[in-house]
Amino acid sequence: MCWGQTGIFTFGQAALFGLGGYVVGLITTKSSLTDVGILLLIAIAVGAVAGLIIGIFLFSGKRVGELYVALVTLAISFICERLANSWTLLGSGNGIPGIPYPTIFGKEIGSASGLFFLAFVVFAIALILSIIIVNSQFGLTMNAVRDDEERAEFFGYRRSVVQIAVLVFAAALAASGGALFAVSEGFVSPSMSGLALSTTTVLWVVLGGRGTLFGPLIALTVLEVVNIKMQEVLPSLWPILVGLLLLITMIFLPKGLTSMPAKIRESRRKAASS
Amino acid sequence: MKLLEITSVTKKFGSLVAVDSASMFINQNEIVGLIGPNGSGKSTLLHTICGRTFATEGTILLQGSEITNKTPQNRANAGMAIKFQLARIYLEKTVRENILISLQAKESIFRQLRSASLKAFEVKIKEIAKEFQLEEYLDEPAKSLSHGQQQWLEIAMAMAVDPILLLLDEPTAGMSPKERADTAVLIKKASKKCGVLIVEHDLDFIKELCNRISVLHHGNIVATGTPAEIENDPKVKEVYLTRV
Repeated sequence: MCWGQTGIFTFGQAALFGLGGYVVGLITTKSSLTDVGILLLIAIAVGAVAGLIIGIFLFSGKRVGELYVALVTLAISFICERLANSWTLLGSGNGIPGIPYPTIFGKEIGSASGLFFLAFVVFAIALILSIIIVNSQFGLTMNAVRDDEERAEFFGYRRSVVQIAVLVFAAALAASGGALFAVSEGFVSPSMSGLALSTTTVLWVVLGGRGTLFGPLIALTVLEVVNIKMQEVLPSLWPILVGLLLLITMIFLPKGLTSMPAKIRESRRKAASS
Repeated sequence: MKLLEITSVTKKFGSLVAVDSASMFINQNEIVGLIGPNGSGKSTLLHTICGRTFATEGTILLQGSEITNKTPQNRANAGMAIKFQLARIYLEKTVRENILISLQAKESIFRQLRSASLKAFEVKIKEIAKEFQLEEYLDEPAKSLSHGQQQWLEIAMAMAVDPILLLLDEPTAGMSPKERADTAVLIKKASKKCGVLIVEHDLDFIKELCNRISVLHHGNIVATGTPAEIENDPKVKEVYLTRV
């Protein structure tokens, strides 16, 4: 939504993911509230407010380039990770352990399948919402801002409002993801709001295909499946292989893995015509 | 009341004075040409009018309201539309989507999320595409259009929102003679709905088209008059025509 559809090259998604996780971690360990619906709503609201503040800081006023946004959000991720590492309220380097299982209508969701189903439902809602937005008139507005934001302003678009709105939506999604992570894993740690995760999310977009909703999902699945297999066989080579995969994708498939079928069709057509 | 009134507009970049106390006006349904040799300040003056840059001194009024320091978005909402020198259209989008991008710019986010005005805009899209000879390319990506058609598409996008003032920066650059003639017809038609300001190098093109022409030289407007007056003005001949 951010980078692919609107051109907001953000490294801040992990910070917002961590924010959602820490908010839920603090609430559940300091009170008896475990209802997943309420926890998700709180995380979404906190994430949206954080997205709004970051968005206003980044986009109100003058136009800023992708690099500026990337550097500022990278700094935000760095600050969040450092803050989580050093603030005792947030458990410092140990994070917040002992987060209880979530409940729904008073019933605990403690099984792996129950937690998976919960995550899947939230994911499906997020994906459907994203598909609706991208295919609406607003999706076209997002693309107009991405492709030529100055031109969009000359048509009368409130460019900063569009960018802030998208960032708020993406922040709310990231925070809800962090909240789900916290309740299903039972702990939150500084690394979940840091640079490594921020870079990984950008990697999914690059590998999968910028401007597609399913591309990053495919990239994430491929990377995770291969990661599990590689950890067993060649654990030390895995980071190098990820780097190589990224390099090869950027050279041969600049539009990501999702562009591969079209690329194959095109080369077949060329071969047939020659 | 004048449609556009520019009074003593000066634009400085450091010590360089790009536009020096320029004054001009455009009436409703009038086509005004702005010509001058390269580096005379035409584009800078156009940019101060459209809001790409702000005047250092002077005032710009649109239908009596001051817009000197307004953003491009405010000016667009006040009824100003522009076609840039190099067509700035969305090449990866279809012709239909390009016109829709222009049409929906002033819609609220909530209406856009509901795609509330899609059906109503479809009528307008077809109408404007027909007017600009783009009807058969509605579902084609804009990058597949010829150079001339891309220029028309940008004018169509500007005209789609029924502006009160249309700014055209070298609308016929790189066009064939046939396309130039067709463009002249389209601009004439557009002037029935709004005022038009054309920045051009080509005097032959705009003398047929414009009601009045202003000539810029070294940031100063050195002459304003009808095309016939401009052609016979000795100062214009000296500073501009001899250099073309």
